[in-house]
Amino acid sequence: MEDEPAGQEMEKEDFILFEKEITRIQDAIDAFPKGEFSHIALIGEPFAGQNTIMGEIREKNPGTVTYIPFFNVVKGKEAITSTYGTKDIVLMDRCHFLALRRIGGFAMLDAFLDMISMSDKKMFITSWNSFTWSYLRAVKDIDKFFPVVIEVPKMDSKALMSAVLSHYEGDIQFIDDVEPPGEQPVVTTKRVRLPLPFGYSRDIPWPRLNIGGGTSAKTTEEEPDAKKVAFDKITRIAEGNYGVALRIWERSLDYPELKLSRIPDPPCAVDLDINESFLLNIVLSMESISFTDLAEIASPEIDIEQTLYRLTRQGLIEEDKGYYRVNPETLNCVISHLRRIRMVW
Amino acid sequence: MVISTLNETEAIAEWPFRTFDTGMILEIVYIIVVAYVLVKILSYLLRRIADKAGSYRITATMIIPLLKIVIYASALYFIIAAVLQPSLSQLVAFSGLFGAALGFGLKDVFADIIGGIVIAFERPYQIGDKISVQGTYGEVKDIGLRSTRIVTPDDSSVSIPNFSVFNEATASANAGKTEMMVVIDLFIDAHSDAGTAMAILRDAVVTSKYVYISPTRPYTILLADFPYYKRIRAKAYVNDLRSEFEFRSEVTRRAWIELQRQGIEPPRFPAHVTEAPAE
Repeated sequence: MEDEPAGQEMEKEDFILFEKEITRIQDAIDAFPKGEFSHIALIGEPFAGQNTIMGEIREKNPGTVTYIPFFNVVKGKEAITSTYGTKDIVLMDRCHFLALRRIGGFAMLDAFLDMISMSDKKMFITSWNSFTWSYLRAVKDIDKFFPVVIEVPKMDSKALMSAVLSHYEGDIQFIDDVEPPGEQPVVTTKRVRLPLPFGYSRDIPWPRLNIGGGTSAKTTEEEPDAKKVAFDKITRIAEGNYGVALRIWERSLDYPELKLSRIPDPPCAVDLDINESFLLNIVLSMESISFTDLAEIASPEIDIEQTLYRLTRQGLIEEDKGYYRVNPETLNCVISHLRRIRMVW
Repeated sequence: MVISTLNETEAIAEWPFRTFDTGMILEIVYIIVVAYVLVKILSYLLRRIADKAGSYRITATMIIPLLKIVIYASALYFIIAAVLQPSLSQLVAFSGLFGAALGFGLKDVFADIIGGIVIAFERPYQIGDKISVQGTYGEVKDIGLRSTRIVTPDDSSVSIPNFSVFNEATASANAGKTEMMVVIDLFIDAHSDAGTAMAILRDAVVTSKYVYISPTRPYTILLADFPYYKRIRAKAYVNDLRSEFEFRSEVTRRAWIELQRQGIEPPRFPAHVTEAPAE
């Protein structure tokens, strides 16, 4: 692939998204009749692609597996006990809905763990949000129940290019309309206002490193380079998250044309208090959560309506039919903020 | 003897001090002001950087005391160079005199400065740590050359001489880390269901917005039985030591709402114990 001639694309039909992870799970399913099985946890960040993998497994094994997805926080044991009369291989999607971060919020998770501990004839293939997984691993040692943990991988620029372009039949034109920066020194200076004691301030020169300065200069005619630059940029902004990259791509594309200047790269400036950060953490950990479920966690400590309003206004979350989720374009900004204040581990 | 007398005469002739004039005084004032302003500016910038550094906050602030020592030591050197024109022998002689002066009049100040240097290099505590020293508990706000300033939970600023690092035990609750263990006690009636109470306190701790849990920072729930009550104790880490009291308060408040909902009561005075009448 490194020496691929300009303009030559990977054969679209050859590309299978998350092939390695799907093969691992399929091998486990194929080995199940021989009595060799372990429960599997598939974990990934929001939008990373767990749904794609679970969907693929479901399609490949229609008569072999029972599929149980969760869309809301599980509040009754019926959802768990319903697995008793199912096929021996159970796909449980979005298991992060089994726990709610409040006092008494682990009852359903405990019931589920009790069930899989007692069941030695069924194999459970479960998917989890990675932040909920990390939290439950610290709090409930959940990893001890799932000997096989498969992480949804981050994608590199080439894999992303293949994955995205496999959705399109026709060719897409990539246009580099970004002004080349030209030759720049490695260190430049800018003037910053320095606050001084007693209410004074002064403008002082401040060094600024120009790492890789001038290297992104491209000409508009070099389409293959523009394509590579576009996917490099999308991959960097999405930090390899497939769903986020797809969202950025869709927002940037003006079919059949993609201009580099249309790829958004918003600054990451998060200014939140502890309650806002906590609610943001819950939304991140649940991927998509209803107002009612959020209110159960927040009440009475947090004024949920005001907090959701402020999070929405800052563009960090978005609402869709009463469900809240992190805005994909700000996902990595949100994660880095919550990691910095040690709210996600 | 003759040679010796001659050298003494020469030494007196080579008086090491420059003539004091307005220019020299202004130069000394200028050096002091520049050093002071530089320390303030760099400390301010480092604190701003530390605030944005999240879990590396305390690592960033530990540079501040070292910086102060370097700047003030440089300022002292420039002042001496401005006042004196010393030869080597004169510098030795002056050092002797200076040492004697320190020994008689400034030994406490000098001991504090040495204490400050030891704190800066050995780091028994750092800026941002929660420490207990000389019976005072609080957050270290500044480590100066002469004293360490800590702010107590009731917002009193206390200056502790740096020399105390040599002769007082200093307890640091977090030892340079951002997280810190917090102990939360709940007392319930002796006849209440302790198992349920422990489960409630455990849930209150692990679902707190302030908690930090990792393999090296686990939480523990303990039960102790006393004659008229039971004590449920939680030991857990707060993600930022600045939220120590908020963490304790939030967990206690949420736990008690649930405890009372489950019919678990606080301790009551036994029938044969009466409160002493107020005088």
